Amino acid sequence: MNSHLDELEAQSIYIFREAYRKFENLAMLYSVGKDSTTMIHLARKAFFGRIPFPLVHIDTTYKYPEMIEYRDRMAREWGADLIVGRNESAIAAGTGPEQGRLDCCAKLKTDGLSQTIERHGFNGLFLGIRRDEEGSRAKERVFSPRDKNFEWSYKDQPPELWDQFNTTFAPGTHIRVHPILHWTELDIWLYIQREGIELCPLYFARDGKRFRSLGCMPCTGPIQSNAVTVEEIIEELRAIKTPERAGRAQDQENTYAMQKLRAKGYM
Amino acid sequence: MSQSETLKIVIVGHVDHGKSTLIGRLFYDTGSIPEARRQEIAATCKAQGRPFEFAYLMDALEEERVQNITIDTASSFFSTSRRRYVIIDAPGHKQFLKNMITGAASADAAILLVDGTEGVREQTKRHAHVLSLLGIRQVVVAVNKLDMIDYDRQRFQEVENDIRAFLHSLHIVPAHVIPISAREGENMAGRQGHTPWYAGPTILEALDAFGDVRGDATLPLRLPVQDVYTWDGRRIYAGRVETGEIRQGDEVIFQPSGKVTRVKSVEKWREPGLERAGAGECVGITTEDELFVERGEIIARLQQAPIRTREFRASIFWLADTPFRAGATYTIKLATAEVQAVAVDIEERLDSSTLEVIGRHEPELQPTEVGTVLFSLKTPLAVDRYGENVRTGRFVIQDSLQIGGGGTIQTVEGDADRAVRRFSLDDFQVGADGARVVDLSLERNGVELDVTPGFLDHLSAGNRLIVRLRDPVQIEPVALLAYEHNLGFVFSRDRDRVNVVLYRERDGGAEARAAA
Repeated sequence: MNSHLDELEAQSIYIFREAYRKFENLAMLYSVGKDSTTMIHLARKAFFGRIPFPLVHIDTTYKYPEMIEYRDRMAREWGADLIVGRNESAIAAGTGPEQGRLDCCAKLKTDGLSQTIERHGFNGLFLGIRRDEEGSRAKERVFSPRDKNFEWSYKDQPPELWDQFNTTFAPGTHIRVHPILHWTELDIWLYIQREGIELCPLYFARDGKRFRSLGCMPCTGPIQSNAVTVEEIIEELRAIKTPERAGRAQDQENTYAMQKLRAKGYM
Repeated sequence: MSQSETLKIVIVGHVDHGKSTLIGRLFYDTGSIPEARRQEIAATCKAQGRPFEFAYLMDALEEERVQNITIDTASSFFSTSRRRYVIIDAPGHKQFLKNMITGAASADAAILLVDGTEGVREQTKRHAHVLSLLGIRQVVVAVNKLDMIDYDRQRFQEVENDIRAFLHSLHIVPAHVIPISAREGENMAGRQGHTPWYAGPTILEALDAFGDVRGDATLPLRLPVQDVYTWDGRRIYAGRVETGEIRQGDEVIFQPSGKVTRVKSVEKWREPGLERAGAGECVGITTEDELFVERGEIIARLQQAPIRTREFRASIFWLADTPFRAGATYTIKLATAEVQAVAVDIEERLDSSTLEVIGRHEPELQPTEVGTVLFSLKTPLAVDRYGENVRTGRFVIQDSLQIGGGGTIQTVEGDADRAVRRFSLDDFQVGADGARVVDLSLERNGVELDVTPGFLDHLSAGNRLIVRLRDPVQIEPVALLAYEHNLGFVFSRDRDRVNVVLYRERDGGAEARAAA
């Protein structure tokens, strides 16, 4: 093994292959961001160029047009099966952040996701969350079971040791698999640099601003930056003192916002 | 940043001995806490009317902060000029032992924390024992809260003696025993001058001195088959090289099936013509012969194969809510293999904090207890002794739906041998007299014999098979073959060798009975 990136990559590939072997009807949640794009690259490494499960994008209808254009173009290039899921009834009812950001996230993202899972009969999902993103994610298992109501029992998680994951569950359990849980934000960028992974253009500075974390337009703000290349972004991250999700308004709603969202099935 | 391996450190110790504070201090002293995160914690602490808590860095769940306990393991990251670290926080409460083990199992090294005012306590010992069971050999002991006893040297030495004596019984020799105050930062990243009598390294210096321990390329090849992909008309065995190295052209054996072939290619996406892969790498392998082996087999070099066994003795630790029971059947997961196993005997039951044997041939192990257990496997498994190969010498025990515990293999029954080699009888040449000859006289290891329908037809046509033996011990697999396929056999001597002649009994054995 040459570097810590090789080590991180190998661990992710191992997780992908383990999940693919153990569960049927898997899909990968694709948020169009840098983490899930990196995750797709790792999946192609794991399966010798294939993506042997569908990608699911939950479209809140509040996404940036650049994200949608990039998503569709890349899915074609990868030869991926892309499923776009929406909570149509909530969208029709005019759900938006002005009625409360957490409520909006719960309806358009969490409920939109559970409806999509139900419609397609997925038993499990790959998600590109990382332990360094935020406190409740740091507590996650690699294979994280969710009950019938989609809830995360974070107080009583099954043991997981020596890359032996829990793979048998009671009927109705839904499994979330986290292939990049052990990566940091900087690791992701160093890997994007090394592998030459193409990203959504919003990550690169235009008019002195760029996005560090991509989400919905009303709740995601850009940071001041002149970084127009991956190299410049890595330099910027090494100096930066603010957390990655500082631009995500829903996280700041209250102290345990993310824990509460996630216990109910948020990603 | 250095591009060397990341070292994973677990922090263990009795509840309230200061684990989360130590971690917070390490992050603070290495400048790894983002300013906004520090402000968030300061605000939370202020709202609760308490001073700044480093512990809140890791204790992120609301229940953890309100009750001031660590419920589940978490990991975080920092770097020194030497290398990157992943710090794993492990809960101290006994009821969260499974979370502690989940955290500790992936660690390369450990800091065992002892409160200098309280001394060695129950969980200190239990956690030390877990480190030993998990095979974590690189350990630093930190004696904490010395600021509360005016950095009293004599008290530190008493605690040092206690913990060294206990660790000795576990065959753990700590790299250092360091007097610290995590709250004040004494001997963490730097020295504040309160312990002039201490000449050893700080915590950070001790961590930087640890060796990289993963990806052992010096051990024999072990490549467990994780999955088999039959894509593009090819059969690819996917897996991670656990130890050793695999090369194109190598002669390899799949255990436990015993099938032997050569490596045709070593594959990675977008890396054509790859010639080798080493420990830690995930690869795909194609072979020269079309084999039909499945997930769970271990690919090894013919002369250095893992042991094929149906019985072993292991040290286990039990975490599930229900007891571990003698006589019960469990699923053992070792590398990528899964087999059903009967816990034949709980030979010893130990108190996991004192390590005293509290019973022999017991019916049960209670949650959090450890023991020595003899397992009988329903199907053969390829294993190594834990002392020889950590990665293929350890396993987890699944109890109905969940992982209930783990274990390390101490001894394997029929232990003198190494691999059992399997022969498929169709492969052997027909001799001048029309008989096929299998020569086992050069086989030092155990053997198993396989037949194909075509070969049985060959015998039915009146042909014979001559099996040349090294030793009468080898009669057993031949007799077993004869029994399973309704063959007759007679012995013959050939100078100093024993031969067995197998033939197909015509007429359902009537001829043989008539002869008898």
